[in-house]
Amino acid sequence: MRYIYSIIKADYLQRTRSYAFLITLAITFYAAYSFVPPPTASYTTLNVVGFKGVYNSAWVGYVSGMMTAIMLSLYGFFLVNGGIKKDIDTEVGLIIATTPITNFGYLLSKMLSNLLVLLTIAGCTFVVSIIMFFVRTSGSPFIISNFIIPYLLFVVPAMIFISSLAVVSEVFLGRKSILQYIAFFFFFGALMANVNGQKNETLAVIIDPYGVRTMTTSIKNQVNTQYHQHIEGVNLGFTFGGKRGFRIFEWNGITITSLFLTSRLLWLMISLGLVYLSSSFFHRFDFKQAVSKRKKVIANEQKPATPAFAATGINRALMPPLVTDYGIFPFIKTELLLLVRKGSKWLWLIIGAASLSMLFAPVAISHLYILPVLWFLQVTRLSELATKEETYRLHYFTYASYKPLQRMLPAQILAGVILCIVLAFPLVSRYIIAGNGYAIFNIISGAICIVLLAVCIGIISKGKKLFEIIFFLLTYALTQAIPVADYLGAIPHDSHIIYIAVILGLNVFLAVISFVVRGYQSRHL
Amino acid sequence: MSLVIKNLTKQYNQHKSGLTDYSITIEKGVLGLLGPNGAGKSTLMKIIATISKPTKGTLFLDDEDIVANPDKIRKILGYLPQDFGVYPNLNAYEFLEYIAAMKGVGGNGLRKRIDLLLEGVNLTADAKRPIGTYSGGMKQRIGIAQALLNDPKVLIFDEPTVGLDPEERVRFRQLISDLADDCIIILSSHIVSDIETIADEVAIMKNGILLNKAAQPDIIKLVDGKVFEVLVSNDEIAGIRTKHQVIDTSRQKDKTKVRFITRTGQPEMGAIAVNASLEDAYLFLTQNNN
Repeated sequence: MRYIYSIIKADYLQRTRSYAFLITLAITFYAAYSFVPPPTASYTTLNVVGFKGVYNSAWVGYVSGMMTAIMLSLYGFFLVNGGIKKDIDTEVGLIIATTPITNFGYLLSKMLSNLLVLLTIAGCTFVVSIIMFFVRTSGSPFIISNFIIPYLLFVVPAMIFISSLAVVSEVFLGRKSILQYIAFFFFFGALMANVNGQKNETLAVIIDPYGVRTMTTSIKNQVNTQYHQHIEGVNLGFTFGGKRGFRIFEWNGITITSLFLTSRLLWLMISLGLVYLSSSFFHRFDFKQAVSKRKKVIANEQKPATPAFAATGINRALMPPLVTDYGIFPFIKTELLLLVRKGSKWLWLIIGAASLSMLFAPVAISHLYILPVLWFLQVTRLSELATKEETYRLHYFTYASYKPLQRMLPAQILAGVILCIVLAFPLVSRYIIAGNGYAIFNIISGAICIVLLAVCIGIISKGKKLFEIIFFLLTYALTQAIPVADYLGAIPHDSHIIYIAVILGLNVFLAVISFVVRGYQSRHL
Repeated sequence: MSLVIKNLTKQYNQHKSGLTDYSITIEKGVLGLLGPNGAGKSTLMKIIATISKPTKGTLFLDDEDIVANPDKIRKILGYLPQDFGVYPNLNAYEFLEYIAAMKGVGGNGLRKRIDLLLEGVNLTADAKRPIGTYSGGMKQRIGIAQALLNDPKVLIFDEPTVGLDPEERVRFRQLISDLADDCIIILSSHIVSDIETIADEVAIMKNGILLNKAAQPDIIKLVDGKVFEVLVSNDEIAGIRTKHQVIDTSRQKDKTKVRFITRTGQPEMGAIAVNASLEDAYLFLTQNNN
């Protein structure tokens, strides 16, 4: 138990003492604020067509709790995923492997530290939800249980499940982050669709780790009872649209049934069970790949007595005259080489097939679904664009090179943009044939935007994680046709000019921040 | 060519400083930097390599202000950091081409230049393998090769012999000696013997302050006639420690040979005077300057 406590503590401190975590907290505060929109806002977070709930403590507490459970599940997986990989990269895993800790003990400690990180964030939204109650309501009584119950019964089980899922995916999908992301992307989508679409009410409550079905059913029943209606659609999540006429209803929270409590307990057991099962498959830092690699090195080192340096040393007299070349093309070449070599070859086949599918799929589907997902499949490549020097400790060389800011950084950005545009080319070629310059422009500026976002966040946070989370949320929101997430012109907008200006302005802003911060970093190691 | 550093201070925060009012002039040849951990060696090297800005002070290379115009030195700089890394997916050729691009080296002769360097560090046979599969010593050698890509006039080696086996270390020293004629070479190490064999001058640092900078014989003179060795039983060692500065102990059957610098001028009974070394002088300076 002592080992487990120490691992949890070290892991938690390691994760929370980072810029990325601080930025995540700042975003969380803003998100928690946005969960309870003002009456004049152009969006809702709980949408009942034609109706609107009174802002009382139940509404604010439950909506905030439910939004936290869903949103934090969505990006929390990306935030906490990678705990085992970190131990591999830092070789701390080798030390852990030699201690008496069991596989289950180690994985459980990872799961609990994941949970602590997520609960820290959830704690922030909890506090903000109480503040928002006093900001958004007047005269409504403050009932603390309406805040505690949703966080206890929605958020905590959901976070336990996500913490467990992050550990399990690392055990089974190893260091292939992109596969874990894709698997989670589809798993989350399928889970939510199944929960919302399930006709059997009892089954819906049981298979729902978030408790979303219990809450939407309770609200639906309240509206139907109060107005003798038969409404079906209660949607959670950000819904954008103009303000329409609506009728007011008062909702006072869910009724806690034994079925609901059993389902909470069930998800807790499932989470622990998954970790326990995966412990039988855990590598304990003993890799076949590492062994074969090591063998290679040893084989090489055992070559008979080749001297480390040539007996003649380095004869500088034989060196050809020094020719200077301060262009950026050699950098672009190497950056592209690094982008292409990252990841497995078979994944490139899938990416290639997805890219070519845009030649045949309906244009709107290609633009709104295939292209964003295709670009998201590059997330581990893009997130590394401006962070890999530090990850691989090459920044000493790059920062000491000739004009690094004018040559290295533009080369990294250009390489990323080239990759995105090449992948989008089948769709671009269709727009060329159709003579749709606006769409082509949007795809190119979208490619620049996402690459600059990767570079900017990477430079500021000095890590890959934050961009990966934001890119996932952006892609998910875009495939849900949420206009504010449309960085590549996939959704029709009221004004072309304003849309172009916003994206271009964002690009300029990201570029300026990237260059200024990198300029500072390169002289302050 | 000379590098003139005046009153250099690097303050990381209110409580932590890397260098304090540090002044030194470095001429052609090999300057060895010696100092315990946290002495400021790496900080000094990073500032000269232009990847860290001093809080105060000036740094001139032949009248050129390097702090204001870092690109002036970058063209002629070769730098081997203490804990550098590589892109594991690139092979040695690709990696050196990448570094050459950083240094602004190109043209038709680049391939031959890389070939010669790889030959010099004996990596030709492994040049097409991903660097991720290299051993620690091989990575260190590729690091040395990259530092020499642009015919540097200022070479900075931060702990260059870490990871090299004894034979590799000897070869490396030879390589440095060959380069020393027309370059400024600054080399730091914990291993005094590495510095002792190649450095023309030695700078000893502690807590961000320069304790002494001189040619090796002049530094050794500081402890001339003060270094002794005596064979004692284990019980007597504690007593010697109270009176003298013990440099080293080595077991010999049931006795222990103690090498010490006398503080009193009166050596122990039976002690014999021995030739002082750079290590003696280094320990004398660093342990007596707090």
